[in-house]
Amino acid sequence: MASNTLNESKQLATWYFTFAFILFGAQLLFGLVAATQFVMPGFLFEILDFSVARTLHINALVVWMVFAMFGSVYWLLPDETGINTIGIKMGKLLYWVFVAAIAVVVLVYIFVQVGPADQTTIWFIMEGREYIEAPRWADIGIVVVALGFVANLFLTGMKGKQTGIVTVLMADMIAFAGLYLAGMFFTDNISVDQYWWWWVIHLWVEATWEVFVGAIAAYGLITMIGAHRKVVEMWLWIEVAMLFGSGILGMGHHYFWIGTPEYWWEIGALFSALEPIPLVAMFVHVLYDWGKTQGAEEEAGNPASVINNKPAFTWFVLNAFGNFLGAGIWGFFHTLPQVNLYTHGTQFTSAHGHLAFFGAYATILIGMMYIAVQGKNNIKVLKNTKSSIWAVSMIAGGVMGMTVALTIAGYVQVLVSRAQMGATWAGYFDGQEGMWFAQGMDWRLIMGLVTFLGFALLAKDLLTTGKNPVHER
Amino acid sequence: MFEPFTDVIPSFFGWLNQGPLTLTIFLHTVIILPMIWIYYQEKKRLENEG
Amino acid sequence: MANKSVWSDNRFWQRTATWVTGFAAVLLIWLTFDTSAQISMGTDEDLKQGVTKRVPGPTVINYKIEYLMDAKRGHEVPVIGGKNAEGRSAFQEKEKFFGRDDWTEEEAGALLHLGKLGSQAKNCMNCHTLLGNGAYYAPDLTKAWLDPAWGPEGSLQAMTGKNTKEEAMAEFLQHPSQYPTHERMMPNLGITADEAKGLVAFLKHMSSIDTNGFPRNFGKIQGAVHGK
Repeated sequence: MASNTLNESKQLATWYFTFAFILFGAQLLFGLVAATQFVMPGFLFEILDFSVARTLHINALVVWMVFAMFGSVYWLLPDETGINTIGIKMGKLLYWVFVAAIAVVVLVYIFVQVGPADQTTIWFIMEGREYIEAPRWADIGIVVVALGFVANLFLTGMKGKQTGIVTVLMADMIAFAGLYLAGMFFTDNISVDQYWWWWVIHLWVEATWEVFVGAIAAYGLITMIGAHRKVVEMWLWIEVAMLFGSGILGMGHHYFWIGTPEYWWEIGALFSALEPIPLVAMFVHVLYDWGKTQGAEEEAGNPASVINNKPAFTWFVLNAFGNFLGAGIWGFFHTLPQVNLYTHGTQFTSAHGHLAFFGAYATILIGMMYIAVQGKNNIKVLKNTKSSIWAVSMIAGGVMGMTVALTIAGYVQVLVSRAQMGATWAGYFDGQEGMWFAQGMDWRLIMGLVTFLGFALLAKDLLTTGKNPVHER
Repeated sequence: MFEPFTDVIPSFFGWLNQGPLTLTIFLHTVIILPMIWIYYQEKKRLENEG
Repeated sequence: MANKSVWSDNRFWQRTATWVTGFAAVLLIWLTFDTSAQISMGTDEDLKQGVTKRVPGPTVINYKIEYLMDAKRGHEVPVIGGKNAEGRSAFQEKEKFFGRDDWTEEEAGALLHLGKLGSQAKNCMNCHTLLGNGAYYAPDLTKAWLDPAWGPEGSLQAMTGKNTKEEAMAEFLQHPSQYPTHERMMPNLGITADEAKGLVAFLKHMSSIDTNGFPRNFGKIQGAVHGK
């Protein structure tokens, strides 16, 4: 019944969410392999080495998020613009192109792994640049798919009602797609290489993705608790100003030590130090709007909760807080050059990476999946279930546990490998053998398992929602 | 307070970066000042609309 | 409604967002031009003329490279070809690299090209860090060339049974699991003799890049108290 009448754009969104969720599982599995290798170095040695597991871990992460982001846009477009998404046929075709390309890339990663030192490897096996390892042919494919997606968004946005949210998304997504081009060339100069590499990585995760999250949060507040569009969109513009204002030049914090001039110390330190501010604002904004809307309803003699999708709202609130904690606090820890001189390239970064990617992106995208499940099954009020509560607790607790474990391991590395031993080969392994480091790695693995169990519960909850009678229809 | 230029290659930004926070304060100021102008322009508009 | 505040006006914030984003982007592009000029790779001529570049030309592999404290800059910098009276690179003292210190610009460039390609084709960055970026499963390679362990009295050089730093590194890269330095080993990545040579050139070149003093105190501290 419901799924038959589902808007085509929303249907495509559910495809995107489904594949994103599968990749999310793959991300966690390969993460567990890599975490196990820290504890038992012989595990899958010369079969599926750490480098392979980690490549898959971080690529699955990036790609599932991109899939879920595309899905989120296809989901909200009909609601925001009031018209059907234009070019949806092409969108569906590109979806399958994207899925097929990802499948081939993953198979090559697993079974071919590395190649000889020539351009064929760069074009067909692996580009060997963290996060954007995908070979060049796949880069081109990704650009084509992204352009198709941006075209759908623009055509629909320009024809339909152009709300503030759609305007922000249009500007944001074209930058998001365009920036990928900065990572598609080869140079012998590693400083130049890393300079442009950060254009993709940083301007994605600390600028365009953050703004995307702001837009999605705005949409979520309107759909889930009926917040006032005008208020929500004002917040969105403030967030855009602060996120781009700090995030674009905050890029400097990646240019401290890669051969780039000393003036980046000041630019990177001070602009990136401001990056947490919009994240605090976003948290305040979510809670404020919730309280305000609920209060107004209660005033009107309507004490029922204004939230029509409890699990999704939980994930959105978790996003607002996790973004601030993971990206803001954990990022600020090591963003000043005086600190970063010692923390750069240690597990400290990894701790920040885990909590930030989870807090800032995974949470809100899971929230969007719940919104999609609600819409797909025509549910009026989607309630918390035992498994939704356990899922969110175990995933959030697991990631937080991993973050704390990695932070402690990072401290050992900073103190022993860096400050005491001066970052040599011997110094590195002295740090790795520290008791706190080793135990940190044990706890990371345990917490990773907790996260994975939470993921299994999340899968169960999302899959059974349609048939669960507790939800109001 | 102001230190001699230390970096390898002299440049405009390197030259601005010659004391505590000189470069970053300069850039922040340049970004924020025009917002005052935007503020008064919008204020005028709102008053006219009112 | 004359009293409506600008602070709660959407248009004000929209314009502010546009201005801030646009200006930050323009600044970033300007800075990119400035930085790109500063980090472009130097030439053999630069080295011969004694011009200090942040990223020296590939023929830097013909020179001796050190990593010494620079009093004026307040951190360590690569010193190429011995130091002059001011403690800066003198570009004089040569050092043999695979038996030669007269690699031409073309030869050295080809070697570096092969090495950089190799570093990507073998996915080095997903275990090691390069210039501090990458994964944290294996040591940082930024100044690996200058690691005392690969030097004449170093344990890594001794382990491979080779007489020079570059030969020891190349031998290790070709047969990493034959020379375990830790329970955690480097896997065999099918690196050929040529590729290994290129990779070592790449590492030597990377150690000559001015990284503003990262990593701090590299290889200076011997016998520090272990933090176990």
